Amino acid sequence: MSTLNLSVIRKLVQISAFVFFVYGGLITGYYLEEKLSGALPALSCAYDFQGSDLCTLIPIQHQMDHRLGETIAKGGNLLMGVMPTLITLGTFLVLFVILNKAFCGWLCPLGTFQELLQMIGQKIGLQRQESLSKSLVAKVRPVKWFILVLLVFGFPLLTGMGMLNHDLGDPFCKICPSRILTTLATGSTEQLHVDTANATTITLTLFADFLFGLMLALGLTLRQPFCRICPMLALHAVFRKMGLLRLIKNASPRCDRCGLCAKACPMDIHEIHTDMTSRNVTFEDCTLCGRCVEFCPDKNVLQLKYAFIPLFSADPQYFKKRKKAQTNWEKQNLIAWFGNKESKRRAEPS
Amino acid sequence: MKPSNLAIMLATLLLPPTGAVVAEEEQNLKSKKPAASHGHRGAKTFHIDNLDGAKITYIQPDLSSQTITPVMGKVTMPVSGVDNYHALVVEKDWGDHKEVIIRYQYMFGRPSKQNPVRLTAAQKSEFEIVPDPLPREHYRYHSQQTWGFLARYQGELLSNHPLTLTTSNGSEQTLYTDEHGRVTFQIPDDFPGLTEGERSKQTAQLTISGEYQQSDTNHSTQLVADYRVNPSHWQSTELGLLVLGIGFLAGGYLGQNLKNRDKKA
Repeated sequence: MSTLNLSVIRKLVQISAFVFFVYGGLITGYYLEEKLSGALPALSCAYDFQGSDLCTLIPIQHQMDHRLGETIAKGGNLLMGVMPTLITLGTFLVLFVILNKAFCGWLCPLGTFQELLQMIGQKIGLQRQESLSKSLVAKVRPVKWFILVLLVFGFPLLTGMGMLNHDLGDPFCKICPSRILTTLATGSTEQLHVDTANATTITLTLFADFLFGLMLALGLTLRQPFCRICPMLALHAVFRKMGLLRLIKNASPRCDRCGLCAKACPMDIHEIHTDMTSRNVTFEDCTLCGRCVEFCPDKNVLQLKYAFIPLFSADPQYFKKRKKAQTNWEKQNLIAWFGNKESKRRAEPS
Repeated sequence: MKPSNLAIMLATLLLPPTGAVVAEEEQNLKSKKPAASHGHRGAKTFHIDNLDGAKITYIQPDLSSQTITPVMGKVTMPVSGVDNYHALVVEKDWGDHKEVIIRYQYMFGRPSKQNPVRLTAAQKSEFEIVPDPLPREHYRYHSQQTWGFLARYQGELLSNHPLTLTTSNGSEQTLYTDEHGRVTFQIPDDFPGLTEGERSKQTAQLTISGEYQQSDTNHSTQLVADYRVNPSHWQSTELGLLVLGIGFLAGGYLGQNLKNRDKKA
């Protein structure tokens, strides 16, 4: 069947995961104790009371603030202070090893929402076809590391040590678009606000709302705008060599001249195309979505492998069908439809 | 009904907990520097007068319990070492009249791995009012919110039964339970002296009470809890939407700009 391809399967998985992580708490339960892992490697928000799990970044921030920071400030046992974070990271790793960065590309509710925005943008005719330039991608890449180091670890730790005010105890959550998205998705507007309590809360909430609006608009024209700066992507990058699911490249001389894989990549990872030496090409920004494999025209040059088992490999026949399906999908949009209508009207004899 | 010490007991149990939190906050105010910790991991102490003859039970999340002996009119919920909700149950038996006050208190510590439902489902007294649900861990009751409560007698839900919500700010409201024994109260927005746009850390107490007559015995029960000012007093959704809109416009401009720049390149 020509319409069923990896992207379609992935969309079905993403939508199912979105429903499960945003509304699944109605089945799994209301209390935090009832959440699945408490350290999910994807942005499933704890502020969403109907959610079935919560992302690992919220316990890490709380542990930096209330455990490690307090322990350092009071001169307590550092091992005891860091132990909760180690347990959280351990839980994260157990899950992460199973799916690696596919948590981003296949399961993250915020990633799914951005892909839906992209589809809407495409259907309206706003989505740009070109990839972002290498220089722009290179400038954006470090941002996720700064956010991870400063907002997930640094500020909460300093807050726990008494060096910052308590409103900076979980600064990433305060600006995370997933907090606004998932609560809005459950019909609550509580997290979309400007908090006038003090300068810190004003700054954080202004930034959060602005960032969410920015993401909404950019998501219509660019692929995965927030994912590029997401600290979860950075945390994944640290442990990506441990994951069982990997993107493998068996470079061929034709790779030099092709570059379709890089164009297909929603994260604009040009290195998939240019790197001719690495076998494991699960780069730091990769979300293991598999689009590069779909759009590779050479047999087995790119593969998604689970440990040593190939799950999905590049194939010329698949590529032809996939490219045709993509061209048809991109042709059908509102701007093209209006353009065709107008040209038909003009072509009609008066 | 015999004269009761209930009013005194209730009034005093409702006083804010003292101890580490208050001490830390007082010190903090003097130094004007952020405190190194929230100090919320300590024991919770409540002043209670007229405790003669009262039985005080402290129930942990795993339902293990201990009897608390008051010291100088104070009852301390000790640090159990585990997190999640704990219950303080104060009972007085007058023979033909049984009174009970129950308070669910969130305590911090290592993960208890216990579901709060276990604590609420357990029978703590013959007649009791049970939160359904309790505010999720790390959350609290706030004014303007609606919360559900169940009325139970010996584990059986009581339908069409009157329950009264009163607050230390002076509000009162009586509603009847539905056929499932459940009632939903909206916590009144009754804090005095609020200024819109300014954060208020005021705390008040709510009491949900009811009476039940069984044979010759009258049962009265109170569920007490703290509630806080709803943050909507200093959080503006309208402003949030406006800023979101500005972000959207900025995103549109940025997206278009990137497109034009690439075309030129």
